[in-house]
Amino acid sequence: MNAGPGAARRGACLVGIGETRYAKWGGIAETSEYQLAIAAIQAAVADAGLSMDDVDGLASFADDRNDATFAAADLGLPELRYATMSWLPGGGGACAAIANASMAVETGAAEVVVVYRSLCQGQFHRFGQGPGGRPTKGPARVPGLRKARTLLEAHLGFTMPFGMFSPPIAYAMVLQRHMHRFGTTAEQMGVVAVTTRAHAARNPRAVMGDRPMTMDDYMASRFVSEPFRLFDCCLENDGACAVVVTTHERARDLARPPVEVVASAQGTPRGFGHGQYSNVGMPDDDYTSAGARTVADRLWARAAGAGVGRDDIDVAQIYDHFTGLVLLSLEDFGFCGRGEGGPYAASGALAWPDGALPTNTHGGSLSEAYIHGLNHVVEGVRQLRGDSTCQVDGAETCLVTSAAGVPTSALVLGRR
Amino acid sequence: MSERWFPDEMPVPAVNAETNGWWEAAAHHRLVVQRCTACGATRHPPGPVCPTCRSTASEWSELPGTGSVFTYTVVRQAFIPSLADRIPYVVIAVELDGAEGARMVSNLIDIDPSDVAIGMRVDVVWEDMGPHLALPRFRPAADAKESER
Repeated sequence: MNAGPGAARRGACLVGIGETRYAKWGGIAETSEYQLAIAAIQAAVADAGLSMDDVDGLASFADDRNDATFAAADLGLPELRYATMSWLPGGGGACAAIANASMAVETGAAEVVVVYRSLCQGQFHRFGQGPGGRPTKGPARVPGLRKARTLLEAHLGFTMPFGMFSPPIAYAMVLQRHMHRFGTTAEQMGVVAVTTRAHAARNPRAVMGDRPMTMDDYMASRFVSEPFRLFDCCLENDGACAVVVTTHERARDLARPPVEVVASAQGTPRGFGHGQYSNVGMPDDDYTSAGARTVADRLWARAAGAGVGRDDIDVAQIYDHFTGLVLLSLEDFGFCGRGEGGPYAASGALAWPDGALPTNTHGGSLSEAYIHGLNHVVEGVRQLRGDSTCQVDGAETCLVTSAAGVPTSALVLGRR
Repeated sequence: MSERWFPDEMPVPAVNAETNGWWEAAAHHRLVVQRCTACGATRHPPGPVCPTCRSTASEWSELPGTGSVFTYTVVRQAFIPSLADRIPYVVIAVELDGAEGARMVSNLIDIDPSDVAIGMRVDVVWEDMGPHLALPRFRPAADAKESER
């Protein structure tokens, strides 16, 4: 990585990572989701060689049930100076939470911020299930309309009654349109599933590490919502992870080699709204995208200012709630042309170690664990420390993306 | 009551001040779209302000109920138990005539799922889910011809 014109101003650094064990939904019953969050935060702070007395900020993203205010009190932080939760929905805010923490330490609002995510889908609801994840009971009679508690709920009033119950149905429609426009195939989506499963086989943390998958296995898996088969859909998991963010100056003296936030970006293009889960009226070029085109343009412009170009990226962790959305993210971030995500994946580009862009080297949400993509940031740090179980030789730069098909965010991480 | 295609246990829409008028019209089997009275742009789901010209003035504009399939999926998993004997079913995003840029999510009924195609012309048909709730579904147009899309 070359020192570019912007290199004098050094970004915040990721100096600690922590994870609990990852399990299939319901697999962690003895520990609460909140206890897992606390455990992940403690592990990340210890990994950094810091004490909880050094921590003065906490950051997370949409719908977090594990309030930073309670966590600060329970962890005995001397003072809470910064606590934010990104508005970007679902997994869209993982990289944004890192970026927000970075901005906090760069401006002096706080010095050591821990970003965390804990999900126990077994203890709450499984995202892939129907309304609220609960079987609908009660009298066989529609009781009439009810008042929406949130803006999203009012929007979903135009989707849920039509049986668009959950994300795989909504995003299957995106891929159907992408196939219609560009000729994308099931086998091209299958390459994502099979490739990342092979990466997971080397990762002892991966929930699906002992479940090899061939293309025949993929094609034989049952349809959930065409064109998505079961193996196009990510896992539903219990587990937590956390990342410690601090200033470049402080990072130099810590236990681990610092990983720098070279560039970050977050948001959506005009008209994208909350994404295709609740909005099917956006321009066709956005509907058939991951919604990250403007984020990508900003990210690459900022990275260029720090001397890093897209062609310099050594390894990528691309949000993978669905195989097909990985193809769309690859297009949005410009690794291939519009509509060419399928052929790009089929070329072997995503495979470790020889692909042009080894991707999801931990196995991703399809095969390691679904922790709303914060585990993708953790794997990015691991790659730049040289500690991945699918280590890219000499990796100096890593792209991490958060969600797709909703307002999204992304990071370029670097080692220098 | 109308013919029925979906079970009673389907989710009931939650409404707010912006969307209530749409559901009131639907209860009377009127397919409407929110139209900005300042610039004429249509939007869906309904919202408090026009994203095109930022006017807050709007009206409910009745549509002919014809359109074409923008995209679709054949759902083969029963996400609620009472759908177990109703799968597969087809969810569509429909491009509605007279409502440019304001596509809606609905269902295509009375069709073999293997015959669904993007661009297919469709007509609205109403399903009464209860005394105050009717949902617009779609069936292939009588003179079904693929549009130019």
